[in-house]
Amino acid sequence: MKNKKAISIVLGLMCFALTLGICVQLKTVKGSNSVISQNYEENNLKAEVLRYKEKYDNKYKELEKAEKELEEERQKSIENNSYLEQKEEEIKQGNKIIGMTEVTGAGVIVTLSDSKKDASTALNVSELLVHDADVLSVINELKNAGAEAISINDQRLVPTSSIVCGGNIIEINGEKVGAPFEIKAIGLPEQLAALSRPGGYLEILKGATVGVDLKKLNSITIPKYTGVITYKYAQNSK
Amino acid sequence: MIAIAILIGCVLGAILGMNTPMISYTYSSYLAIAIIAALDSVFGGITSVIKKNFDLKIFITGFFGNAILSILLTILGEKLNVDIYLAAIVVFVGRMFTNLAIIRRYYVDKWSNQLKEKNEKKD
Repeated sequence: MKNKKAISIVLGLMCFALTLGICVQLKTVKGSNSVISQNYEENNLKAEVLRYKEKYDNKYKELEKAEKELEEERQKSIENNSYLEQKEEEIKQGNKIIGMTEVTGAGVIVTLSDSKKDASTALNVSELLVHDADVLSVINELKNAGAEAISINDQRLVPTSSIVCGGNIIEINGEKVGAPFEIKAIGLPEQLAALSRPGGYLEILKGATVGVDLKKLNSITIPKYTGVITYKYAQNSK
Repeated sequence: MIAIAILIGCVLGAILGMNTPMISYTYSSYLAIAIIAALDSVFGGITSVIKKNFDLKIFITGFFGNAILSILLTILGEKLNVDIYLAAIVVFVGRMFTNLAIIRRYYVDKWSNQLKEKNEKKD
């Protein structure tokens, strides 16, 4: 009897270990949505990329902290000086216009996602995808409708922004951005929502079975541009 | 009793496994080879029960020993840049198939014997 008890406890423990291992493994494989490789080299490269990303994030946090300190110093130095205060206000206004500050306001969120239609049934697979030109056209229409700030998947559009095709992704501000594209625009929502008018560009995209979604919201936050804008060649004309 | 213990172990393992955080991608290959080794031991255990030479001590040491040894071999293989885990998979899966064949033969024989006896009784 005692022997049987011991056997059952041991077998239970072993089953526990085995199912635990299998479940954890399944979860890990599912979570890391890439081809499993047991190649030492590839894993090393992957780990290195992650390490650099972490380093970058840390540095960026430091930068943000430094910027905050600078802001505080500025506030201190412009106290009791109306001329400087006015200049500060001007700088803030300028930053807002070129997209160097986070902004909040009413607007719309347009989501463009690749068609869910089976690609093998389509005559032209290219029609089922969202292209850089589609994003560009939507952005253009939004700007025409008076959008004041626009971001695509949290990439803020600034005067130096470009939207180019990069194979299966598109590049915005030099950063890789993949479908679905979430385009946030701040402006008068009713006006921006005219994007979905009959005959508008969204209608054309819908006709190509591309996933289109337009939401009007009272409060949207658009992040600031994280890069640096430098002008080397443009000089102030006299 | 044994069946209940196995069931509880499996359920607990599954629940805990679903709730644990994802392990690092690098270690998942080790875990995979350990799972294969453990599965091999389980099939080996079933075969030995059929052959009536089951020994719990050998079963337990085989279960954990094989898993740990295969992990160590995989690590060694990565250090030497030789895919030793391939050899481990070939051996384990090959043995699994052998054991499965033995189990299958045993049950098919048993079943056909039963069928034969039934027919003889009818006659």
